[in-house]
Amino acid sequence: MDWVAASRNFQFFPPKRDPAKAVAIFKQIPMTKIQKFKIVLAACLLLFAAIPVFAAEISFDAKTRELKVNQLFEVGVFINTDGESINAVEGKIVFPEKLLKLKEIRDGNSIINFWIERPKVSNGEVLFSGITPGGFIDKQGLIFSIVFRARQAGRGSVEIREIKALLNDGKGTATNTTISNLELVISGLAPLETPSLTGPTAATPPPVVENKDIDLPETFEPMVASDSAIFDGKYFLVFATQDKGSGIGHYEVREKFWAGFVTAASPYLLQNQRLDKKIFVKAIDKSGNERVVMLPPQKPLPWYRHYAIFAILLVLIVVGFLLKKLWSRYFTKNREL
Amino acid sequence: MKRKIYILIIFIFFSSFFRGEVFDFNHKVFAAGAATVQATIKITVCGNNIKETGEQCDGSDLGGATCSSRGFSGGTLSCGASCDFNTSACTSGGGGGGGGGGGDGGYVAPVTSVVFSGRAYPKSAVTLLKDAQIAATTIAGADANFQISISGLAGGNYIFSVYSEDNKGSRSSLLTFPVSVTSGATTNVSGIFVAPTIAVDKSEVKRGDNIAIFGQSVPGSEVTISVNSDEEFFNKIKADAGGAYLYNFDTSVLEIAQHFTKAKAALDGAISSFSKVISFSVGTKNITAIPEKTILKGDSNNDNRVNLVDFSIAAYWYKRSLSTAFKPIEIERLNGDGKIDLIDFSIMAFYWTG
Repeated sequence: MDWVAASRNFQFFPPKRDPAKAVAIFKQIPMTKIQKFKIVLAACLLLFAAIPVFAAEISFDAKTRELKVNQLFEVGVFINTDGESINAVEGKIVFPEKLLKLKEIRDGNSIINFWIERPKVSNGEVLFSGITPGGFIDKQGLIFSIVFRARQAGRGSVEIREIKALLNDGKGTATNTTISNLELVISGLAPLETPSLTGPTAATPPPVVENKDIDLPETFEPMVASDSAIFDGKYFLVFATQDKGSGIGHYEVREKFWAGFVTAASPYLLQNQRLDKKIFVKAIDKSGNERVVMLPPQKPLPWYRHYAIFAILLVLIVVGFLLKKLWSRYFTKNREL
Repeated sequence: MKRKIYILIIFIFFSSFFRGEVFDFNHKVFAAGAATVQATIKITVCGNNIKETGEQCDGSDLGGATCSSRGFSGGTLSCGASCDFNTSACTSGGGGGGGGGGGDGGYVAPVTSVVFSGRAYPKSAVTLLKDAQIAATTIAGADANFQISISGLAGGNYIFSVYSEDNKGSRSSLLTFPVSVTSGATTNVSGIFVAPTIAVDKSEVKRGDNIAIFGQSVPGSEVTISVNSDEEFFNKIKADAGGAYLYNFDTSVLEIAQHFTKAKAALDGAISSFSKVISFSVGTKNITAIPEKTILKGDSNNDNRVNLVDFSIAAYWYKRSLSTAFKPIEIERLNGDGKIDLIDFSIMAFYWTG
């Protein structure tokens, strides 16, 4: 069969995913092996060119930066989900410690709701891992930002590595990812706190905005739970909130009236397993603003089990008795006189 | 010969380009990328001095309106706190009365708030999540419309989510949207259209028999049901006055295998996102589906909710070797690979209820 005649058998919109038919027709066409190889190669190339490839892109807010020694600058880490719904991201940012000193990590306005690993620096790397329940679709979703100070002159790059972005599909399917690193050129000495007259350009970073956060962390409701899967089934406390300004610094918990707050992380194993006392949880943002929420006793004692009341009553009775005795003695003495 | 080769290459190019994902004329409904439905949510800010769609005015921006254009003879038109016209200082025709006394000049502190409005199901419970934690709940009206207002927020970026429960207690998928909240202003998020709930009457259906696909949406909405196999079938049905819909799908067109179905709704030009995906098998016998009673996936502590407690339990085991007590839970409710990693948290995030 002539292949042109065979090609007429192709439908312009052939039945979906029926490659067997195409292969059968293809085999009927008389060709040399080299010709067949060329066709297959060209077809493969075209096939890859034709299929749209979705890929989430993790990038910084600039591709290059020209800096001066001692200059402070902020680098935002963003995700473009490319129209797909993403609900989990993890990775690491690697920076040259000789050239840069990490001053601060800002995660206040992050698209991540819960951090599995809150961004933190360790040996020139910032590890991060978190989720956004329900997923998000965003062209420029801020994951977090890092404030660096340029240490010395030189060239280097801040790199994104080991990125994983998972689809909001209930299976945790990994989506394709692309990255875009940040190239740095550090030279000379920065003028001391002199604002740039020309303003920021694509390569020169804008001045770092001081985080004047006066808002308290968002209000939240800690929960007490128990599960055989952790802490041997003992009661534990879970808590999480957000701070849109500087981001959450840490949490503290107080279980007893007389005790002080202790630094805590969720899930927190409760000391008082009777759950008969109020629990206070304090969220402190990176600017020092504090929000304290109180959890009422989960198993409050009946009034007659409040031994403190009896102790106070007893003390009052004893004091009253002593006062009466002293008064009568004093009164008797005065009468004798 | 060369000419023939070029023609074949062009054929392969077009046949791959015009695959089902782009145009598929076999479908009953034309769908550009059936997996992605763009539900439109409108976000306006009352208090930013910019009149936006849905607002009569905003601060000093009256949109060119005056007392005269509002039917008064004179006076000064102003804008109220809810971004609607305040005509109290406008005057009507006739003899002018005495001037009113000045205001007391009291300062009202601006409130940062967000007002959400949209459609769910008639008389259904609607839950609003703020950054994945429950912020408010309300009951939708008989027409499925709801409105929720929250205040006391700080300015910044929030992730809000909405879901609803139908009259059978079945939960919708989570509709999530990022909103940038302006400090001291009211942000209006309108046009929320909660996806329909969906269920099937059989977990396995004998090939050729009907399977009932049903659920709830907005009364009078047009529900599009997708049944996915090698070929994707789309069918439309109108929800009744109570928002309920039921479609009997003839399975004779399906192969003996597992299949999936989902639904979306449309009304007055607005369109919802797709519902949860429900699976069923086409086989040799009929097996009645057990109604969804418990959430299995993501629910580590078996309380029928997926929330911070489940996240915390999983976070405890993150990068640790699992205990014998937690191993079966990980297998049943997470991805079952014997460890807790990002995939387990992603599964949890998908099934999140707050």
